[in-house]
Amino acid sequence: MGLKATARKNAIHAMLIYAVGCNGCDIEVLNALLSPRYDLEQYRVLLTWNPREADVLIVTGCVPWQMAEPLKKLYEMVPEPKAVVAVGSCAINGNVFKNMVGEIGINEEIAGPVENIIPVDVKVPGCAPRPEDIIAGAVKGVPKLMEAP
Amino acid sequence: MDPVLFIAGLILSSIVATIIAIFYSLVLPGIERKLQARVQQRIGPPVLTPGWWAVLKFWYKGKAEPIAQMPLFYKSLIWLGIAVVLLLFLFSTPYWWVVLGWGSVLGIAGFLKLEEVLYVLMGSQSQSILTTPMPMNDLVKGAKVKGVLREFVEQHSAERALKMMAVGSLPLYIALLVPFVAARSGMISDVIRAQNPVYFNSSWLSLPLPSNPVILTVPGFLAAVVYFVGYLMLLNEKPFSILKAKVDVIEGGVLEYASKLRAGYYLMRNLLLFALSSIFVTLFIGIPFDPFMPLCFILNMILSLLLPIAMAILVAFSPILTFRQIYPATVGLSALGVLALILSVSL
Amino acid sequence: MTERSKDVVVEKELSFGPVHPALIEPFRIRLFVNDEIVEDCELTINIPHRGVERLLEGLPVERALLITERVCGICSNVHAWNSVRVVESGLNIKVPDRANYIRVLINEVQRIASHLIFFGHAFEVLGHETFSMRSFLLREVFMDLMAYIGGNRVMPSVPVIGGIRPRADLTESLKRVILERVDDFEKKYLEFVERVVADPLVMSRLTGVGLMSKDEAIKYHATGPTGRASGWDYDVRRMMYEYKPFDFNVVVLPEGDNKARVVQRALEVIESLKIIRQVVKNLPEGPIVNRDWVPGKMDFTTMYFETFRGELMHSYSLDSQGLIRGYKIRTPTPTNLAAMEKVCIGDHVTDAVLTIASCDPCMTCCNRVEVIDSGKTRIMSEIEIVRKYGWRR
Repeated sequence: MGLKATARKNAIHAMLIYAVGCNGCDIEVLNALLSPRYDLEQYRVLLTWNPREADVLIVTGCVPWQMAEPLKKLYEMVPEPKAVVAVGSCAINGNVFKNMVGEIGINEEIAGPVENIIPVDVKVPGCAPRPEDIIAGAVKGVPKLMEAP
Repeated sequence: MDPVLFIAGLILSSIVATIIAIFYSLVLPGIERKLQARVQQRIGPPVLTPGWWAVLKFWYKGKAEPIAQMPLFYKSLIWLGIAVVLLLFLFSTPYWWVVLGWGSVLGIAGFLKLEEVLYVLMGSQSQSILTTPMPMNDLVKGAKVKGVLREFVEQHSAERALKMMAVGSLPLYIALLVPFVAARSGMISDVIRAQNPVYFNSSWLSLPLPSNPVILTVPGFLAAVVYFVGYLMLLNEKPFSILKAKVDVIEGGVLEYASKLRAGYYLMRNLLLFALSSIFVTLFIGIPFDPFMPLCFILNMILSLLLPIAMAILVAFSPILTFRQIYPATVGLSALGVLALILSVSL
Repeated sequence: MTERSKDVVVEKELSFGPVHPALIEPFRIRLFVNDEIVEDCELTINIPHRGVERLLEGLPVERALLITERVCGICSNVHAWNSVRVVESGLNIKVPDRANYIRVLINEVQRIASHLIFFGHAFEVLGHETFSMRSFLLREVFMDLMAYIGGNRVMPSVPVIGGIRPRADLTESLKRVILERVDDFEKKYLEFVERVVADPLVMSRLTGVGLMSKDEAIKYHATGPTGRASGWDYDVRRMMYEYKPFDFNVVVLPEGDNKARVVQRALEVIESLKIIRQVVKNLPEGPIVNRDWVPGKMDFTTMYFETFRGELMHSYSLDSQGLIRGYKIRTPTPTNLAAMEKVCIGDHVTDAVLTIASCDPCMTCCNRVEVIDSGKTRIMSEIEIVRKYGWRR
């Protein structure tokens, strides 16, 4: 393992993009990042709010059409190498908002699961996933960062 | 002294000082973060992560062009900043004291002012996606106000930087004067001579300890307190971090620095942290950072942990203050500084 | 809030969102400022529109719970409970006492968790990381309790039509655990609150900023803690039969500034603890769910409910096959935000963001309204409607 991979392993900046689900996953991610009980920083994951600084994008929510464009733009802003972690059922398949449609057949408000808009590397299922799962998911993105040229 | 010998010593001492400063300063943010984490009842990141590994990681990141009005100028600002901070630090080391006569209160104050101006320039350049250019339908038919200047938050941060330049850094400059007034001279060498007379005729392996450090006098202590708060203002740390308040201007002018430039920004910020701490030890305790006297500079480095540790603990316990609180705080501190200045005449 | 003339010249505009550290939830703030002073403010809140009410159209009423619970992740139990209350009231379904007690318990547990999120968020906006983290640490007690009772930290799914889910029944050992955790929490929480109130730096940021008078609170219908912190003594819990057996105070503070909004919630947590203790002590024996009902035709029924942020309304009807028709949800956040939009005028930019955060905005449940305005269909958020047509109670 060279210096490059070691450096990438030892300092990971994670950014949270909340693309509108029900708020549950969002708070659980914040719990994992901010709560001293879980404390992602001890696993060398630091919280940032600037896409220019980020390595790992943690995306939650089912992405309504109004969030699709900002999400894509923010993803482009992150310098290579980068990893995307989709947290929660909404981010993975749209959950009830995309799948449990009553009479309307297809819900046009929802532009995606996250995969429709940006490439996803790690998926953390659950509604809402536990903070332990989110920590595991955020760290799963690291091998991709390390192997990148 | 022989000019050739002097120039050789100057170059050699600068190289040694620069390398030590860079290596050491990147450990400081880790210590800071760890202390804060302990205050917050959690484990916190490993000591090397926020400094060393972060900088190396950013250095190895792919190319990312910043979005700015003048990208080349914006990018050059970071290297200019590093140069200014390095020069600020070098002028406090003994070989540079005589160069151009800038090893004085004038040199230190000048470089610090230049460093502050950089934040204004950065803020006026950066155009981050997070603010106005975000693709969002907010300028619609029913909007309340239309046709006003849509400012980037970084530009707002630049305006705040200007205000902080005008008022915020005043206490630091007043406090900076006290050791010089006590020594009745503008030169750093005279300040050391007044506090630590043995330093000038001791061998390279000895450890000259100050006989009458200014921090142990009443005006010196007052000035040290004022210097500490001014130091927070200059570093834009928590109680006075209005120009990079996370809630509105996010990070201010440095928002758009990515990959190598981000590494440069980390380096600049941490070098400034170390330079200001080291200058504090030099001026108030009387132990200069002499690259050719190992015990002397090691003691300087250890003592210069004082301010970052105090800062880390204060940062963990304080919210961001707005200008409503910063103006009165500055006035009070400046008054305290002036009091210290008047008292120091008696030394 | 200071009174300003209508035609004040605005120098520039600061706009940020929907991805921003202060507003984790997606909405866009446009602040019109002169130097540091906010002269006007506009919030665009229609970003989280997911069409929840349209999704519910034509669903069997039992399945609706799945979606209504996911209207909001912080107050999931509230939406689930209120949606079953509508059908219980409309079809006259008798709910067993034990079920009501446990519903109240989970609601108060979630209320405390929600208020602690508010502290976490407000102190994060203040820039005080330590207090924010301490709030999140204290909150874990109640997340655990929710997981013990309902099986999920965020979506406990306790209420079903006619009672509660059998999983959520309280056992004796669980009762003991709840009492132990609550006692332990109360000790730490009181220390924390005393520490916060005694902190001069934090209090200097909060006191006297974002003043809202009682008249303004009533005019903009700022319900819940936001209104009660301005001296408006209004709490739907008093009128709810579910809360009849319990003894609690409604905390009303007259000041109406940001400090009052924080302190009001801090005091409300203590009242919720009181209710939790009463539930566990007086829990009656008996069945927990009444399965003796059939979905059938139901007229429009409206139920009001006190959520953690204010007054919530659910209203729908059922057709003859028991399918939902015309679902309507009104959450407290739009009106609270409309009030905050006015209140933050005249403050510094950093304080204005804090004022907006101080009504505990919960964006995800906000906007679902379509207004046909001069022949053109345009989605208007409720905040725009309140601004344009005023509030009618």
